[in-house]
Amino acid sequence: MKELFPRKQVMGFVFSLILTAVAVTVYFFDMSFEVGSTILLVTAFVQAAVQLVVFMHAGETGDKKAIYTSTFYGLIIALVTVFGSLLTLVWAYY
Amino acid sequence: MDFFNRFAIPNPTPTIYASMVAIALTVIAVIIGLTYFKKWGYLFREWLTTVDHKRIGIMYLISALLMLFRGGVDAIMMRAQTAVPENTFLNAAEYNEVFTTHGVVMIFFMAMAFIIALMNFVVPLQIGARDVAFPRLNLLSFWLYFVGAMLFNLSFVLGGSPNAGWTSYFPLAGTQFSESVGTNYYMWALQISGLGTLMTGINFIVTILKMRAPGMTLMKMPMFTWSALVTNIIIVFAFPVLTVTLLMGTFDRQFGTNFFTMTNGGDDMLWANLFWVWGHPEVYILILPAFGIYSEVIPTFTQRNLYGYKSMVLSMVIISLLSFMVWVHHFFTMGQGALTNSIFSFTTMLIAIPTGMKIFNWLLTIRKGKIRFTVPMLYSLGFIPLFTIGGVTGVMLAMASADYQYHNTMFLVAHFHNVIIPGVVFAMLAGLTYWWPKMFGFMLNEKIGKWAFWFISIGFCLAFFPMYISGLDGQARRMYTYSAETGFGVWNMISFIGAGMMAIGFIIIVYNIYYSIRYSPRNVGDDPWNARSLEWATHNPVPEYNFAVTPQVNSSEALWDAKKNGHKLFKGELKEIHMPNNSGLPVIMAVLFFVFGFSFVFSIWPGVILSGVGIFSSMAYQSYMKDRGKHISVEEIKETEAKFGGGKK
Amino acid sequence: MKINHSQPLEYSTEHNRFSILGFWIFLGAEIMLFGTLFASYFVLVDHTGNGPVGAEIFEITPILMETIFLLTSSFTIGLAIHAMRVGKQKAMITFFIITLLLGMGFLGYEIYDFFMYVHEGATIQTSAFTAILFLTLGTHGAHVTFGLFWGSVIITQLIKHGINYETANKSFIFSLYWHFLDVVWIFIFSFVFLKGMM
Repeated sequence: MKELFPRKQVMGFVFSLILTAVAVTVYFFDMSFEVGSTILLVTAFVQAAVQLVVFMHAGETGDKKAIYTSTFYGLIIALVTVFGSLLTLVWAYY
Repeated sequence: MDFFNRFAIPNPTPTIYASMVAIALTVIAVIIGLTYFKKWGYLFREWLTTVDHKRIGIMYLISALLMLFRGGVDAIMMRAQTAVPENTFLNAAEYNEVFTTHGVVMIFFMAMAFIIALMNFVVPLQIGARDVAFPRLNLLSFWLYFVGAMLFNLSFVLGGSPNAGWTSYFPLAGTQFSESVGTNYYMWALQISGLGTLMTGINFIVTILKMRAPGMTLMKMPMFTWSALVTNIIIVFAFPVLTVTLLMGTFDRQFGTNFFTMTNGGDDMLWANLFWVWGHPEVYILILPAFGIYSEVIPTFTQRNLYGYKSMVLSMVIISLLSFMVWVHHFFTMGQGALTNSIFSFTTMLIAIPTGMKIFNWLLTIRKGKIRFTVPMLYSLGFIPLFTIGGVTGVMLAMASADYQYHNTMFLVAHFHNVIIPGVVFAMLAGLTYWWPKMFGFMLNEKIGKWAFWFISIGFCLAFFPMYISGLDGQARRMYTYSAETGFGVWNMISFIGAGMMAIGFIIIVYNIYYSIRYSPRNVGDDPWNARSLEWATHNPVPEYNFAVTPQVNSSEALWDAKKNGHKLFKGELKEIHMPNNSGLPVIMAVLFFVFGFSFVFSIWPGVILSGVGIFSSMAYQSYMKDRGKHISVEEIKETEAKFGGGKK
Repeated sequence: MKINHSQPLEYSTEHNRFSILGFWIFLGAEIMLFGTLFASYFVLVDHTGNGPVGAEIFEITPILMETIFLLTSSFTIGLAIHAMRVGKQKAMITFFIITLLLGMGFLGYEIYDFFMYVHEGATIQTSAFTAILFLTLGTHGAHVTFGLFWGSVIITQLIKHGINYETANKSFIFSLYWHFLDVVWIFIFSFVFLKGMM
């Protein structure tokens, strides 16, 4: 039975549950927008990284470089799109 | 009867009825012809179901040429309408439809198809591979593109063409101002062909990363393959944006949502924003392969190594990233304020630096070269100065404050045609002429080809340079007519004459193809241009398996290196070759996608549901199917090689 | 078909390695797909017109349940792949089935959520905000739904053929897809729901 539950993945799961719990604090406790957003940003991106490395085995083959490049390329451009759109359509009008 | 009313054309004219009859007659003629000559089986087995990247490339090429003529007719109609003031050749509604379909057809169904045609044909050969990574997916990509194109062209005779411009800005493209189903066609035709393009992107990235011949490191890839890699990376990250944007547009038009409306919180400029998040990278999807083609043609016909290989690669990688960071320059006048405009103005001007680097690299390659003035080289030499003019006017447009004068005028129209025609169209014509002998085993006639080049280049200058002037004088784009007092008449007349010359140029190209099929000598050898990369190391035309023995590479100009320094490209013995089987499933899926798109356009929900179930069932069927390909035995390879003359080299 | 026995089964043929890399690149495209949805969501989040704002319609309990279902399913599909690599076919199929059941649980709660929104007067046509809310959640939900069908197809093949280089490859690619959907959900959970209710 034990061999079916590798330590690394169990730890990863526990860790992601903890991160979820930390994220939920922004709902149950009163905090400023800045603090809350920071908590959410950190927990979300750390969780994504846990999934990527622990569960998805992104770095296990010779294609590691291509996989990380495409993931980060997508991530960077997605962030540029999000913040560029906000800059153009929301923040520019305050 | 109500059901059929939806298929009626909103503004029918005799021209449209005549085209309907012409289309029907052509279809009937093709069907009768195929039946009479008993070619149905041949066509289906050898072409429509082929997974051979070369044949798929040629199918893309034929479709692209067809679309070039459809879009070209639109162009001529526009120039004819505006040639003189107060012209009544087309009315306002028809003019709207014509400039919309011209843009969509030329960008999506002509230019995209043309670059994908050349990538399909050339890239696997250049890297010494036997096919692409996912051959069946490649065929599906083609079919999705093809049915998308057919769906779009169907709008002309059933339900009405889209008429909100190729950018389809909301709220104009919303149901309030565009009542006909035309814009639904736009949404679904682009959605379906966009899916195909995305799959092409994934396919070619994997092909280039994983299937290169032994010894070909990334920095020893031919420049066209490099440009294809960077282009496909842009495709993979840009096309999902279009998918979402079109979906939102569809929801607004067909399900009454408020993404881009003027009420209930809708934001019409979000469409423009998202459209250009995809649209600007799209510009580079078109131009980078063109740069790649010039980087193949120029070294071949100057007999010099490409100058600055590393800086060429670096500049393309930088362009690919920057291409995602400049989109707001398409709507500087929207009112987002000075700070935002300054940021995007800055990033836009940055792109001129890597592009300039490339121009200088080509110039330095030509310097001291032994230039051979062949047709592909003429197009490349014409490209450098003409494209630079387009680039310089681009920097003018990049200045946000000055853009208030140029925005939405003919100046802009002149600018982007000035980069697209000498950039992309010249490259395609150069590439077509250059790789023609590889595709078909004979060359296009050089003398006729040069006539075409001169007609197209001079015609281009006459057609578009006057627009810079009339645009600065204030002639707005997309206006179907103007009064004589504006003084635009003379510029538009010159422009019409130029467009006519370009049309003659393209007709000469068609004549050249016909002439060369009949009279061109067939024994031109494997390497008629004395070229430099691997595709010229195999036979003309190329056998199914590309290379009997996988080549060994040790330089970015593998064949040239082998010719000059006597390296042996093909070491080792003939071995059995594993090749994929043809597949009919992509054709079936394409038909289902067509039915899906067509039903959605007209809101025929049973059709949508049935074809949707069909699409998913085909995918499941594909998953259960066992198809491990076929093997070509050593005897068969020997036989084929002997037939091509000379056996193993 | 050349099988390389020094590698895990899912990587053992050339075609398998192509498929896995190709799928990773597809996931890169998916990042951009959801990135566009998020960009639109953030632009339109305050464009509520006459409709409700997020805080008025979001409820914490179903959202937490959805999150736990999806997180756990991501864990169990990881265990399924581990079981596959140590060759335990029965355990693998069990974990696979648990994953899909959890996925169904997620979807059930999400559909319940959608009904609640409509009940409270927030339909897809109400405002730009509700439109992008339904589109973002719906796109993710549609991915999960597709995953349920896809996973079922793979389970039938696993039962029929056992773990071989083909089924292993398909299962591994499915696991990538499923983990990715969990990642997307984490972002929806954090930046649509928690930020909306903050």
